[in-house]
Amino acid sequence: MNYIKQTSWSLSENLVTDEALFNERRKFLKLGAALAVSTSAVMDLAAKESLPQPNLNFKKDPNPLHLPLNDYEQITSYNNFYEFTTSKKGVKPMARNFKTKPWKITIDGLVEKPFELDMDDVLKKFALEERIYRFRCVEGWSMVVPWVGFELSKLIKLAKPLSSAKYIRFETLYDPEQFPDQKRDYLKAIDYPYVEGLRMDEAMNPLSLITVGLYGHTLPPQNGAPIRLIVPWKYGFKSIKSIVKISFTDKEPLNSWQKTASKEYGFFANVNPDVDHPRWSQKRERPLGKFFKQKTLMFNGYEKEVAHMYKDMDLRKFF
Amino acid sequence: MSKQLSLVLVLLIPLAFLIYMLFVHEVDDPIKYIYTLTGGTAITLLYITTTISMFKKAVNLIKYRRTVGLFSFFYAFLHMLNFIILDMELDLASAVKETLDKPFIYLGMSAFFILLFMAITSLRVLFSDFYKYHKVIYLALLLITIHFVMAQKALAIDQWFYLLIMITIGIFKFLQRTKLLNI
Repeated sequence: MNYIKQTSWSLSENLVTDEALFNERRKFLKLGAALAVSTSAVMDLAAKESLPQPNLNFKKDPNPLHLPLNDYEQITSYNNFYEFTTSKKGVKPMARNFKTKPWKITIDGLVEKPFELDMDDVLKKFALEERIYRFRCVEGWSMVVPWVGFELSKLIKLAKPLSSAKYIRFETLYDPEQFPDQKRDYLKAIDYPYVEGLRMDEAMNPLSLITVGLYGHTLPPQNGAPIRLIVPWKYGFKSIKSIVKISFTDKEPLNSWQKTASKEYGFFANVNPDVDHPRWSQKRERPLGKFFKQKTLMFNGYEKEVAHMYKDMDLRKFF
Repeated sequence: MSKQLSLVLVLLIPLAFLIYMLFVHEVDDPIKYIYTLTGGTAITLLYITTTISMFKKAVNLIKYRRTVGLFSFFYAFLHMLNFIILDMELDLASAVKETLDKPFIYLGMSAFFILLFMAITSLRVLFSDFYKYHKVIYLALLLITIHFVMAQKALAIDQWFYLLIMITIGIFKFLQRTKLLNI
């Protein structure tokens, strides 16, 4: 993947094409490319062009496993974000005007002293790093994403939890004015606000990432702006978006999907090709942009890093 | 151009659209996309097929019913090929295992075999012998709707909409059969 680095010959900010115009131009280009004989080279070029200018400082991930990255367009236009809509393609246009400024995160529960974090402070307090992770949805599709963020453990240290804290509970913004599905009186897709949780050892695992960007740019709304969780060895629904509250508790939080259908979705939701979803197999997955499926890896390929946390557990029971 | 030919061309639009989306537009999740488009088309055409006879006194479109029904089968067939070829990658053993294992799949598969039976027996030589069995279409309608609803992660508005259509067709047919309704 190419990154655009800031150099002495870079153009100044006011010469940069407005994002909206830029996107229009891209659409036009893509249409032109489709009308002409659409070679994949042209399409690749179009996909690269949609990359926004990096606006975050971070340490790059050298990608030692050479995971094949999905392009920015795929990652940002195929999203599960039920607060907007259950249509994966529909989220992006509906989320366009989502307000992420100002944004505060409440940290409470079993901590020395509850407090509020402003999103601006988050970006100042924590050094950012890129993490190229596999992402596997419980529905059977997958992608590889270059996230930008910092380890959740760093935030936990800042929060100073009491020794009685055994779990962390996360909550997504509840704002019916911004989230159309929360405004519905009936036939809501799920109960809101969206809740997720981790056991303390899972939260402290170095893979657990508080994420603020992807492809070097702050998160677009449809991917959970301005701040979300990424737990790469678990199904995607554990990676809660647009977090406003982080609570430390001594009880296992009831996460939203478990609340919706406890026979189908559990608390742990570890990626596991040997434990089927009751309605479909989890043995293989559909990488976005590909016609052919690939094998799903135990713990989504992070067995070495996380398997020890579950060694005495029956993973069929604690799915 | 005959009306039948025009109808065939209209019924081929979803297929043309599918090919365009797969190879020119390049959708992100092709297997899922083929499922959604072929499945949605098959179920919609099946609804139309059953509705045609309900309104035959008002608008008689019975002579087009067979074509619409056959196209419903055609899209269900593409849907099933997607399962066998792309989803299961021609591993027939696991296709059978999955089918028997997952209620959502065996409901869909049963509906497919009903449509297959109807497609074969709609041939002129067989039709008069098998016409009386064609009421199984209502069973297919029921199975296919449950299959469709079960395929989703959670029930959303669209699924409620399809359920509502199916129930409406069911009630309407029941009232017609029992002569409570005379249309």
